[in-house]
Amino acid sequence: MRVETIRAAGGRPAHIRHDDLISAKGVSVVMARQLVLQNIDLSVPKGSFVSLIGPSGCGKSTLLKVLAGLVNPTSGSVSIAGLSPVEAARKRMIGLVFQDANLLPWKNAVDNASMLLGIADKSLSRAELRARGQEMLELVGLGDSAHKRPNELSGGMRQRVAIARALALDPAVLLMDEPFGALDAITRDSMGQSLLEIWQRTGKTIVLVTHSIDEAIHLSRHVHVLGIKPGRITESLDIGLPYPRDLSVTEDPEFVRLVVQLRTMLRASHQPGGAS
Amino acid sequence: MSDQPIPNLSDSRLASNWAAATGSWLPAVILLLATIIVWEAVVRTFAISAFIIPAPSEIAQSLVAQWETLMQATLVTAGEILFGFLVSVVVGVAIALVIVRFDWLGRALYPLVVLFQNVPKVALAPIFILWFGYGLAPKIGLILVIAFFPVTLSMLAGMQSVDRSLLSLMNSVGASPTQILFRIRVPHSLPNLMAGTKIAATLSVIGAIVGEFAGASDGLGYVIQFASTQLDTALVFAALLLVSVLGIAFYYAAEILERIVVPWAPKFSQA
Repeated sequence: MRVETIRAAGGRPAHIRHDDLISAKGVSVVMARQLVLQNIDLSVPKGSFVSLIGPSGCGKSTLLKVLAGLVNPTSGSVSIAGLSPVEAARKRMIGLVFQDANLLPWKNAVDNASMLLGIADKSLSRAELRARGQEMLELVGLGDSAHKRPNELSGGMRQRVAIARALALDPAVLLMDEPFGALDAITRDSMGQSLLEIWQRTGKTIVLVTHSIDEAIHLSRHVHVLGIKPGRITESLDIGLPYPRDLSVTEDPEFVRLVVQLRTMLRASHQPGGAS
Repeated sequence: MSDQPIPNLSDSRLASNWAAATGSWLPAVILLLATIIVWEAVVRTFAISAFIIPAPSEIAQSLVAQWETLMQATLVTAGEILFGFLVSVVVGVAIALVIVRFDWLGRALYPLVVLFQNVPKVALAPIFILWFGYGLAPKIGLILVIAFFPVTLSMLAGMQSVDRSLLSLMNSVGASPTQILFRIRVPHSLPNLMAGTKIAATLSVIGAIVGEFAGASDGLGYVIQFASTQLDTALVFAALLLVSVLGIAFYYAAEILERIVVPWAPKFSQA
């Protein structure tokens, strides 16, 4: 029994539009006899910045893994530019960033940045890989730390290298799972701002999983709120604040209004919902 | 201390470093010297027979008198240890790689390796002599069966502790199992492997001596056995001293190797 979900905000029905890069239809995931995700409809327009926010256990990370092709949905389908997530990943269309930078401790920053590209494209020479790695490090603001090993870099810098590593693939979409979750508040702010600038410079489509209300509103164009038991999209919110944004946007009355609105939505999402 | 002016930071740090360095080995040296002096004194005062407990001075005399024989024996034993150790590391690494890379073979092999670990290896020495004679081969075989296990086990632990999200990253770009093995798992396992290698170095010394006890015509183990049948206890102790020196040397060689191979590894010894 599948019931079509109608998303609340904007009353926009969940149909596929032509400019959608990612579209998930009726995605449900069952893991260890638990319904982790129920009937998710999600569309991410090309070039957009979308955040997924929700309480712990709402399945937002699982949803990101489904989009990345790392978890197969039990039912429903996902398409990325018309391809399955696994096909899209093989074509280097997906860049992944996790909470832990997961750099290789025996490689320096530039070799870490080009590591995945080297595996994805075996035709590239060592020099070409280095050049690409260096270019990406400069994009994330680490151009002069190319020869440092991960243990010589701060947590924020390591995460910048992880972003550079994802961008080196030149993916169409960047899927980020709480990439700044382990960083302190100040570093987190500046990382968010950098990510915004990278997004505007490269025109990538970004899907960000976060648990920070401020981060979601500061960065994204659309925010989807996920609820628990089972994990489902309960609300969606368009962030109308104009780009380019910087940290001063957080003082904007509209920003404050959106924070209050999103917080109310999140509070509601903490209530378990029965199957409709 | 309290009425002194605040010292220069770097000076005080230097001083405390020196204190820490000497503080760490000075007590051990003092205790060792004290033990030797008391040992010498006790043996002399109570006139204990040299073939029961020789005095340190007698051991030193024996060391000097038999220097050439002892050096020849040390060289033979050192060769056995080095060769056996290298074979153990190569075989131990190969077994670990096979277990991780070939799932089915690994599930067949791993329980057998663990089972074999419970066989008292020292008891294999006479069988090895029977099979391989009195030369180098039985010693290498014995060192191998004693020392490969920590190498295999530590490398397995290292290869299997790779973060899952790193594997997700690799899988997402279509990395093959062989690429994941050699680009991620093997280098990731090197700090563990080096820890296992240090244990193998120590066990190799034991393996060589046990092998020589079981049957040999040369080496420090042979000297120890021969000297004890002659009741030349001072020579036994002199050879024992050289075995210990060999053990320490191999251990530190493995530690230096560790610093060269895995400069990025956390240094546990400084904790």
